[in-house]
Amino acid sequence: MTELRLLDGCTAITEAALTAGCRFFAGYPMSPFTGLLEAMSRRMPEENGTCMNAESEIEAVNMVLGAAAAGARAATGSCGQGIALMQEAIAEMALNQTPAVVFNMARNQQDYFQCTRGGGWGDYRTLTLAPKDVPEAVEHTQLLFWLAERYRMPVILYGDPILAQTQVAVRIEPRDHGPLPPRDWVLDGSSGGTGRSRQVWTWAMGKATDPGPGPDRHWRAIAEKFSEVAAAEQRSESYRTEDADTIVVAFGTAALFVAHVVDELRARGLRVGLFRPVTLWPFPSVALAAATRRATRVLVFELNAGQMLDDVRQYVHDRDTVAFIGGVSIHESGLAFGPLLDAGPIRERILSASEGTR
Amino acid sequence: MGILEREVILCGIGGQGIQLIGKALALAATKAGRYAMLAADYGGEMRGGPSQASVVIGDAPLRSLPILASSAAAVLMHHKFSAFARERLRPDGLLLLNTSIVTDTVAGETAHQGRVVGLPVTAMARELGAPQSAGFIMLGAYAGLTGVVTAAGLETAMRSLLPPYRAQHGDANARAIAAGLAEVSSL
Amino acid sequence: MTIDTSAPPPGADQVAAARPDLILGDHGLCPGCGEPVALRLLLEVLQELEIVNRTIGVVGHGCYGSFVQIMDVDVLQCLHGRAPSCATGIKRVRPSAVVFTLQGDGDMVNEGLQEVLHTAARGENVTCVLLNNGVFGDTGGQQTATTVIGQRTKTSLAGRDPATHGYPIPVADLVASLSGVAYVARGAVSTPAAVTRTKKLLRKAFEHQLAGDGFGLVEVLTMCPTGWFVPAADGPDYLTGSMEAAYPLGELPLRSAMGGGV
Repeated sequence: MTELRLLDGCTAITEAALTAGCRFFAGYPMSPFTGLLEAMSRRMPEENGTCMNAESEIEAVNMVLGAAAAGARAATGSCGQGIALMQEAIAEMALNQTPAVVFNMARNQQDYFQCTRGGGWGDYRTLTLAPKDVPEAVEHTQLLFWLAERYRMPVILYGDPILAQTQVAVRIEPRDHGPLPPRDWVLDGSSGGTGRSRQVWTWAMGKATDPGPGPDRHWRAIAEKFSEVAAAEQRSESYRTEDADTIVVAFGTAALFVAHVVDELRARGLRVGLFRPVTLWPFPSVALAAATRRATRVLVFELNAGQMLDDVRQYVHDRDTVAFIGGVSIHESGLAFGPLLDAGPIRERILSASEGTR
Repeated sequence: MGILEREVILCGIGGQGIQLIGKALALAATKAGRYAMLAADYGGEMRGGPSQASVVIGDAPLRSLPILASSAAAVLMHHKFSAFARERLRPDGLLLLNTSIVTDTVAGETAHQGRVVGLPVTAMARELGAPQSAGFIMLGAYAGLTGVVTAAGLETAMRSLLPPYRAQHGDANARAIAAGLAEVSSL
Repeated sequence: MTIDTSAPPPGADQVAAARPDLILGDHGLCPGCGEPVALRLLLEVLQELEIVNRTIGVVGHGCYGSFVQIMDVDVLQCLHGRAPSCATGIKRVRPSAVVFTLQGDGDMVNEGLQEVLHTAARGENVTCVLLNNGVFGDTGGQQTATTVIGQRTKTSLAGRDPATHGYPIPVADLVASLSGVAYVARGAVSTPAAVTRTKKLLRKAFEHQLAGDGFGLVEVLTMCPTGWFVPAADGPDYLTGSMEAAYPLGELPLRSAMGGGV
């Protein structure tokens, strides 16, 4: 077993990515993503990889697209504002089937919509994992490089300033997630002039001598691929939900806080539990419906004006049980979460939502 | 929250070395094969602004929150910016005060119910000829009172954290740790 | 001595097999378009340098975008303007590959101006090829950043007027002013002589890439009679009379060659 190392989230994610074979990273500084760019800058040359401080977010993601199309395990990231700039390229990678990992280190709110609805064009989804703490971020990072290549698509690790900056003793061990499909799509130049040269293109029309499926069949096939992913890759954690009459739904760092409050309230005799989506997309609809079958109330806690709320309402066993107990809460600096992300306020919201109902 | 995890909130103002002692503590625990978490919080100013480090140490993967709901201990190197640490300290927790700066009247409106240990570490550090080592005296005292890490572990961690231009402080900081440990050994 | 012309001489089929035509099919572009000529020159250069089996092309968006179907080269069709960034990623992870971009003026000088300038300044060892016809052909003939003064387009119907539309951007001059750049040249495909010279410019650019000298840009002025509202046969003269005046042909002097560094 490898030793424990005290690492902040950005450094831990970097080490995890390197053990997963990531050798190309490009990014543009923006907090709290900057620590990840800096850690990659330090470590990539040590592992014979490349870290580019790109001149813009759009350039960063397109460098990654190129590197990935040429066969490298490649990643980029930013915080929400920069991820917004990358939407076209993320859609492009989904539709031209280029694997890449995108680190969305959100700044001061939980950007659920950005990860799950996206802002690119066409029929695509972005598989997103939302770790609750640094040790889980390590596992998720390694898994995401595998998933990206398994399904040939861009995927997201969702983080925030607390994940980025908290230092935790973790072990970073290489992990084998299983066999991957053959890499017969990689552009390496070697089939040039053979009559069977390769093409990476969203329209997939192929070559005059070797036609491809074309946009209609290609995009329908990709939509089917996303349906397969939706069925196969839902992940969640049900914590103390079996006999709960109140279930709180939360993801990421917010879920860590809710779990703590669940323990506090259980010690007081309240039957409360936590349902934690681990994949934001595909949303764990099957597990949510099962976990909430006997719940009297389903309380959605997220640090925004209500985004995951829509998916909870859509997939919960009984939508009349759903109430929103989250909210917008921003630190005065604009660079971190506000006072709502704290055990006390969360406990008060759960308690007052539990009083005088049913 | 459980007995498997022990929390401490270290707070003071920028320039008192709060971040360094917080990291030394977390690193010493990690090197000893224990699970640790360090949540640092500080303002932009190099001197005089708030500086706080929450450290949790345990023997299993930690469940404590990065913003602690409550803490087993609080270390106040200064009374300024200490409201969070005082509020989160559990009634039966350990309160360590740098009495060179923090007096009873500024420690808080209500007296702490649990154990209070006051050490004039700023003055002690000056007497040791190393004013910058006050935080390490306090850290040695904390280690002595709780046993979460050894003095040797703290010293090794401290030396590994000093940037090259501060390496000359290593010996003084080591003496400070020992002084803090000695000061509480009779308590 | 009589020569038997009933069949090719022995060995001719082996030569043909050794030099396969890298053009896989017909292009669908307008009569009089200069872009297919530029494509053929590019592919001939790759073949003559014997590098096609380690070349990766990055093609932008424009009429030439369809070339991804007829070029027997490993190719990435990328987002408008972003080809130099994609090329950067490819070259950094496959330094022994030969990497080029193929972009129109709308792609490189409108949407992608910062991409090409940043890539050039970084001295990325790739070759960017600009097909400059001063118009957005693929979308029907709108003004671009290289449309010359007086040129009529669908968004400058009375002709480009500086007071309303500002001035064209000579991107080759901008690139030549940056350190990290190894080669910048302008050619045209409007006359046989120009075609011959342009092929030499392209060859030199790729030779610089093979030598690891840094960034290269070859701008090729191409006819677009449809976008210029002129008959196909008048394309070459229109090019010479309008585009060449704004974009003089030849190899551009480089800042780096003059010893200018920052």
